[in-house]
Amino acid sequence: MIGILFAFLAGAFITLQGVANARIGQDIGTWQAATITQFTGFTAALLILLFVLDGKWQKFKEVKPIYLTGGAFAAIVISSNVTSIQHIGVTLTIAFVLIAQLGLTFLVDRNGWFGVAKTKMGLPQYIGIAMMIAGVAILRF
Amino acid sequence: MVLGILLALLAGSLVGLQNIFNSKLNERAGTWATTTLVLGLGFLASMTIGFLIEGKQLFALQTMQTWYWFSGLIGVGVVVCMVQGIKRLGPMYAVSIVLTSQLAFALLWDSLGWLGLTQVPFTFKQLIGVLVIVGGILVFKLGGGRVARPVAAK
Repeated sequence: MIGILFAFLAGAFITLQGVANARIGQDIGTWQAATITQFTGFTAALLILLFVLDGKWQKFKEVKPIYLTGGAFAAIVISSNVTSIQHIGVTLTIAFVLIAQLGLTFLVDRNGWFGVAKTKMGLPQYIGIAMMIAGVAILRF
Repeated sequence: MVLGILLALLAGSLVGLQNIFNSKLNERAGTWATTTLVLGLGFLASMTIGFLIEGKQLFALQTMQTWYWFSGLIGVGVVVCMVQGIKRLGPMYAVSIVLTSQLAFALLWDSLGWLGLTQVPFTFKQLIGVLVIVGGILVFKLGGGRVARPVAAK
C-alpha cells in the first residue's frame, strides 16, 4: 500500500516538476529555469549523498563512459518539455512524452541495444502502444 | 501545435534513453551518487547551452521569485518516491502507477490552470482520451507477452 502511495507521488512530482518548470520558464526564460532548478537539485542530492555516505564514486569507473552522460540530456528534455507545455498544454505534452518514452524502451528492449537483455515483444505491447496513440487522437480531435 | 508535439516526442525519447543509462549507473554506484551526477551534468549542460544561445542574458534574473530556487527540490522528491516505490512493488507495477499518476495530474493541472498556466477546460472527451492512454500503458506494462531471450549482449 505504501509502495503504491510512493509511486503515485512520484508521478505527481514528475508532472509538478514539468508545470513548475514551464511556469518559471515563462518568467525568467527556459534555459534559466533548467539551469536553476537543476542546480538546486544537484546541491540537495550532493548533501544527501554526503549525509547518507553511500558515495560509491569509484564505481563510476566500472561503467562505460557513455552511460555517464545521461544527465546532460536533461538540458534538452527540460527545455523541450517547457516549450511543449506552453504550446499544447500539460496533458498532451505528457501523453506524447510517455508515448515516445515507452516507444523507445520498446525498441531498445526488442533489439537489445545498450547491452539490455533482448526481449521478444508480444501482442500486448503492440496493442498498448496503439491504445496510447488512439487516446492521444481522442484528446486532440 | 506541430512544434509542441515534436518537442514532446524528443523529450520522451531522451527520457527513455536517460532512464536506461541512469539505471546502469544506479546498479553500480547507488541512488544518490547517480542522482548527484545526473543533476550536476544536467545543470552544466543547461548552463552551457543557455550561455551559448543567450550569452550573459542567461544570468539576468530580474523577475526571479524566491520559490524558483527551491523548485529543483521536486526532483529529489521524484527520486526518493521512485526508489521507494520500486523497492516495494517492483519496477513493473511501480512504473505503471507512476505513468498513470503523471497523466492524471496533467489532466488535473490543465483543468485547473494552476500556477498561471493557460487553462484547458476539462471535457468528457479529455477524460476518455486519458483513460484510453492509461489503458494502453497498463496493457503494455502488465499485459505479459514479453519474453527475455537468454542471449546476453555485451
